Amino acid sequence: MSIRIVVPKLRLAQLLRMPGGLPVVDAVANAERNLATLRPTCEAELLALLELCEQSFATLAEAFDDAGLEKIYAIAVRGIGGGRICGAPAVDTALISLCDLIDHLRTTGRYDRKAVGVHVSSWRLLMGAGLPEAGAAAVLDGLQRVSLRYAEAPRDD
Amino acid sequence: MALDPQSRIRFNLEGAAVLLVDETPMGMSILVSVVTGLGAKLLYRCSNVEQAQEAVAQHHIDLAIIDGLAPSGAGYDLVKWIRQNAREPNCFAPILLTTGHTPANDIVRARDCGGNIIIRKPIAPIVLLERIIWASKEGRPYLFSETYVGPDRRFQDKPPPAGAGRRRGDAEAAPEATAGDEAMDADIDRKAGQAS
Repeated sequence: MSIRIVVPKLRLAQLLRMPGGLPVVDAVANAERNLATLRPTCEAELLALLELCEQSFATLAEAFDDAGLEKIYAIAVRGIGGGRICGAPAVDTALISLCDLIDHLRTTGRYDRKAVGVHVSSWRLLMGAGLPEAGAAAVLDGLQRVSLRYAEAPRDD
Repeated sequence: MALDPQSRIRFNLEGAAVLLVDETPMGMSILVSVVTGLGAKLLYRCSNVEQAQEAVAQHHIDLAIIDGLAPSGAGYDLVKWIRQNAREPNCFAPILLTTGHTPANDIVRARDCGGNIIIRKPIAPIVLLERIIWASKEGRPYLFSETYVGPDRRFQDKPPPAGAGRRRGDAEAAPEATAGDEAMDADIDRKAGQAS
């Protein structure tokens, strides 16, 4: 096998060192300020995704439904990242847990419609204002336990 | 790699051309907010692979931030395309891959597509900045082989553990391997600083 190795000069390295620019502390503050302005649109988009997810869950079959799981995965993965912007970071963790769960189910061929449903209803719960931090942490802990239950392939015995 | 968020160290992204790829309006808005907050001014925003390929073909790109585009994983194919098909210097551009979640069957694809690093969402500005600075560091070799094109994924320059060969099969192949290096006909052509 032939391998060619090149060590390129990156223009980005030179640009970053150019005079001017921003101190790290100011740049990060600017970025956080910009993100704060997105909150209303992110909330609306996350709620729209949640409604789509609830509709898809309502049609998820009782027996193994790979297409249905794929659909819910596609919705959930699009929402990850929005929770942080909306001031509900627990939503991101719940969505990652839902994606993990669906990935485990589709990989191992096991099926648990209820586990998916718990995640979808938790998404709704975590979107709501007024849930204490400890309550959100308890919900996330429960969701992650459910996902982990399916992380390993079933034993033959 | 940790960068102190309170640091007064300056960096300048003003002159950098940044390619952003994310198919969701929310994901794109988040990326744009973070990157412009960090000082970038010239952005190419693409919501699909075709737009991104066109932007890469037509413009000089200094940095790319590309979503994996789960569940299809088309973002990984885009990165591979940039590494294998884009002209210099775009084929060497630092590429940060973002992902909300990577399905188990896409992990190898994500690893092998040629991105510099994968960033898991939600993206914090300080983390993105750290990764941009890290990916921009010069001196990281890029490999061109039949199966992989992209930055060298090895970060440590250590010899194999004592008593172990370079590859798993070395122990069995040891008697034949004494004849020389014919078995390994790698044509390593190190061209430091050739591309600019």
